[in-house]
Amino acid sequence: MAEQPPQELKQAVLERIEEERVCPKSRWFFWCQDSFIWFLWAVAVFIGAVAIAVTLFVVTHRQYALYEATHENFTTFFVEFLPYLWFAVLAGMVLMGVYNLRQTKRGYRHPLWLLVSSSVMFSFAGGALLQAFGFGYLIDHTLGQQLAIYMSQEKLEQKLWQVPAEGRLIGRRVLEETDAPATTIVFEDISGNRWVTNVTELLPRDLELLRSQKTVRLIGTITDEGNKNFHTCGAFPWLLDDNFSSRELSAERRAFLERAYEHMHRADERLLMLEKEAFAGVATTTAVPVGICANLAIMRKLGIRCEQVACHSF
Amino acid sequence: MEQPYALPPSDEELVKKTLVDKEQFGELIDRYEAKLTRYIARLGIRNAEDQRDVLQEIFIKVYKNLNGFDTTLSFSSWIYRIAHNEAVSWYRKSSVRPEGHLVSDSDEIFSLLASKDIRADVQFDKTINVAELNKALFSLHDKYRQVLVLRFFEHKEYDEISDILQIPIGSVGTLIHRGKKQLKAALNHEAIRI
Repeated sequence: MAEQPPQELKQAVLERIEEERVCPKSRWFFWCQDSFIWFLWAVAVFIGAVAIAVTLFVVTHRQYALYEATHENFTTFFVEFLPYLWFAVLAGMVLMGVYNLRQTKRGYRHPLWLLVSSSVMFSFAGGALLQAFGFGYLIDHTLGQQLAIYMSQEKLEQKLWQVPAEGRLIGRRVLEETDAPATTIVFEDISGNRWVTNVTELLPRDLELLRSQKTVRLIGTITDEGNKNFHTCGAFPWLLDDNFSSRELSAERRAFLERAYEHMHRADERLLMLEKEAFAGVATTTAVPVGICANLAIMRKLGIRCEQVACHSF
Repeated sequence: MEQPYALPPSDEELVKKTLVDKEQFGELIDRYEAKLTRYIARLGIRNAEDQRDVLQEIFIKVYKNLNGFDTTLSFSSWIYRIAHNEAVSWYRKSSVRPEGHLVSDSDEIFSLLASKDIRADVQFDKTINVAELNKALFSLHDKYRQVLVLRFFEHKEYDEISDILQIPIGSVGTLIHRGKKQLKAALNHEAIRI
């Protein structure tokens, strides 16, 4: 039997189209495909924006004001609090964004740096916008409440500030022990412990804050662990439940340093009086504050820093 | 009055016509059959039967995706892209490394290595070893060989290569530059007489 010559390609293709009823895919298919890729890119940019918003919240609303209370120096504080999880999310979303842009009709024409920077820029702009409306805090707070494994800034702050052994408490005043002038108050921390708290070394501003019964942070020291006695050296507002401007944070830091200086200054006064008593035989008539706070390591550290930055001139 | 010379329809016009009447697709097949056969052969599909199968798949894919043809591209770039992807996919399915005869005569060799893109400081004589050059070309990484084939054998411009391989134009230039350097090195290594 004679071998049949190979069929012409054109004829074979057209026959196959006929036999297999091959039809061109509809325009809608391609439109949907293209739109889906752009949608995925938009999702990546949006999640990137969320990561930026939370990062901005952390970076701009972190408790820089009181970092000395919890960390050795600013570097250790900063390194510990950087939101690495969100950095990873942002990096992942940038990769996803770039991948999707590459899949768009003309995405391949652009160099990688342009694709990366455009995804980052859009995420950054979106993140800044979200943070401007307070979404950074909201996202971080909500995730912290909904996911046990997610360490929100609030949880992190609580972990750092609810350490009675190191002289830090979070909570609020519940009731006073005595009528005015009160020297002690009852303070309930977030773990539910009630502390009889000595407030004799507090400034009027601190007392005012405690009277408001809002959640506050206390710096001080345990004077009697068995009876849960705590000596307070400073009370500071709990900043994470609201949006605070950087100016307010600066004011808070200044107040913190002033407090430290005040305690140091009192200690110096006390030393001077004791010297007078001992060497010049002059009996002091003025009552000298107890000065527990001046002996706290944190207050000493801050007092010295305060002198370096001349915060007594505030 | 009848027009004495009517210009043949452009590829893009034929695409539009094909969407109305599928018989028009035959014209597109006629236009690209030879070009694509040469191209896939240069990519390493040498067997006539394999070529035929791959070409059929290419044209069926082209037909199926006619509505997805981006009119901002040239049809030629688009069909070459499909051909390229289909050839790569064929290698993968067949689990073979591409091999073949890229170079058929010394003009092509001259076009490849002494093109105006590179300083023409290398002179060739007629006794150049074509087989060795083919061997050298196929010793290159796929990404270099592919751009060299498109640039010097298919005579495509940088923007067309960018559209076919779906890479930035800047990368096309880089790949061509590096590919040529590697090819020169490979040729020296193979002790080809230059």
